Amino acid sequence: MEKPKEEARASKKYVCTFIFSMRTGTPIEKLHVITKFLMIAAMSVLALYMFDIPVSKGGPDIIGLVLLLVLVFGLLIISRTAKHLVSSYLILALPVLFGEFFWWLFFNGSLPGAKIVFYLWPGFLPIGISTLVFVGVFSLVYYKLRSIGWSLVAGLLLWWFTIMPSSLSFSSATTWARIPIGVTYSFSLPQWSTTVALSKALGYGVLIYTSFLFLLTTRDVEIAGALRQLRLSFRKSFFVALMFRNLNTILLDYQDIKIAQTARAANVIRKSIFSKIIDLAQTSIPLVATMIRRSTETGVALYARGFEASKRVTDFKETKRLSYVDFTILAILAAFLIYEVILGHSITALFTR
Amino acid sequence: MSGGEKTEAKTETKYPWSNYTLKLGRGEPVSTTQYVLYAVQIAAIIILSYLSVSLLGPLSYSGISLFYFVYPFFLVFTMWWGIWGIISAYVGCVLGAGLMVGLGVVPSLAYSIADFVPPLVAFMVWRGLLANRGFDPLWRDLTEKEVAGFKTNRVGAWFWFILINGIILNAISAELGIGIQFQLGLVPGSAYWLWWAGWFAGDLLAMVIITPVLVKGLTNLVERQGLVNHGWVT
Repeated sequence: MEKPKEEARASKKYVCTFIFSMRTGTPIEKLHVITKFLMIAAMSVLALYMFDIPVSKGGPDIIGLVLLLVLVFGLLIISRTAKHLVSSYLILALPVLFGEFFWWLFFNGSLPGAKIVFYLWPGFLPIGISTLVFVGVFSLVYYKLRSIGWSLVAGLLLWWFTIMPSSLSFSSATTWARIPIGVTYSFSLPQWSTTVALSKALGYGVLIYTSFLFLLTTRDVEIAGALRQLRLSFRKSFFVALMFRNLNTILLDYQDIKIAQTARAANVIRKSIFSKIIDLAQTSIPLVATMIRRSTETGVALYARGFEASKRVTDFKETKRLSYVDFTILAILAAFLIYEVILGHSITALFTR
Repeated sequence: MSGGEKTEAKTETKYPWSNYTLKLGRGEPVSTTQYVLYAVQIAAIIILSYLSVSLLGPLSYSGISLFYFVYPFFLVFTMWWGIWGIISAYVGCVLGAGLMVGLGVVPSLAYSIADFVPPLVAFMVWRGLLANRGFDPLWRDLTEKEVAGFKTNRVGAWFWFILINGIILNAISAELGIGIQFQLGLVPGSAYWLWWAGWFAGDLLAMVIITPVLVKGLTNLVERQGLVNHGWVT
């Protein structure tokens, strides 16, 4: 029975996943969905643990987090889904990561140790790395969005971030010329702030990209098939499959309703936030009504096809068996978890000893 | 007729919504239409949770939204479909406001308890307590003066609705959600109350604006089609 299933799966070049699609035959595609789930669960536990190691115990495991991030990107490249990530969430996630960094930089005042100075304005316009950052970010955002306003905002924001640390704005290696303008405005933060903030941003990056690794490389039927393997009844596993299969349909319904609102001139007048919220509320009625109508129709269709009467059902052809590769990956992850979380070792400590 | 039976008979005829109780169900298995509907409504909540978090920004911070407009949806779905609405609230948060916005598996599974508790408690309070005191467990008394010939108490309905859902359960939800994220190291201690307030205000605003629209537009339709659960399961 295994061979026809394998053939059926191999006959397709691309398969639809939760978001976008995935090429068949890649090592990640061949992994069992349970392995993929445990893999991303283990990675999120590791990320949460690594960025939360207290300063008294040596501080966050920055090198461990960088390695995890490299591993996630490596897996995305192996699964050949990196292009989808680049064209969608890779850039979109950056503001979140910067946000994370700055929340932890400014709202984490209870850290011990000496303080270091940051500049709101160093008293001169530095020409150097910061200028290159501004030009690079401005060009990249303008190329993507074709909006001078947004390009300026992004460029200036990142430029400002690069002039804030004294190690960047006062070093001759990074600042090649200075044009004196105004007076200096500075503030100080605990020395550990930047390390903790960086580790939080890296850790959050691991969480984001592992989530997308799962969504980009997993099919809804794989989950339903795995539930059958876990001896769940067909009715229960089909319920889960039905739920996942409707995600796309409901998103399309929502978009159709929004387009219909626009067609009825919903966006012609510049409205207040409150009116926009009311508009959003108005989408709920057609959305839920469509959902109920579709459920009734699907219910009737299932009934007509003998859903309630059927005793023996065909298994999902996407169901796979756990292979030695799955077990090897699970063993490596378990070892990594034991080393880092249970035994309390840090990869950064290995390099800084 | 025993004393208990007398009381039951009395409450069953007192209000038009007396058949909506905290029993398990109607005593019949889930029909195919209901089976599909329960699955599809979970899918709808997943998508709305995702949109609630991502519409204000590409990927909102830690799955926290300043206008979490899915909150009234799963509350109303719970009032209609009992345990299935509660499941949709949890699964919707895990997948839509967690994994799909990049929060990671473990934080998503943990902080989604914050969305599980409010519909669970609201369902028990309205069906078990307030329904017997003249308040509609389907919340039609928020927008209608009469339900099936029974004069409703709109001021009282709004009072309980705001107090229980908007303030008490919303505060518990914010405390659980932000508290769990704080424990997991995702929210810095100094910003705790800022995020707490954002969560609280975002849910409250959405609930007050969207619930009446949903209830007025759809509850009677759902009830007419015989799709409202009499108890927890069916």
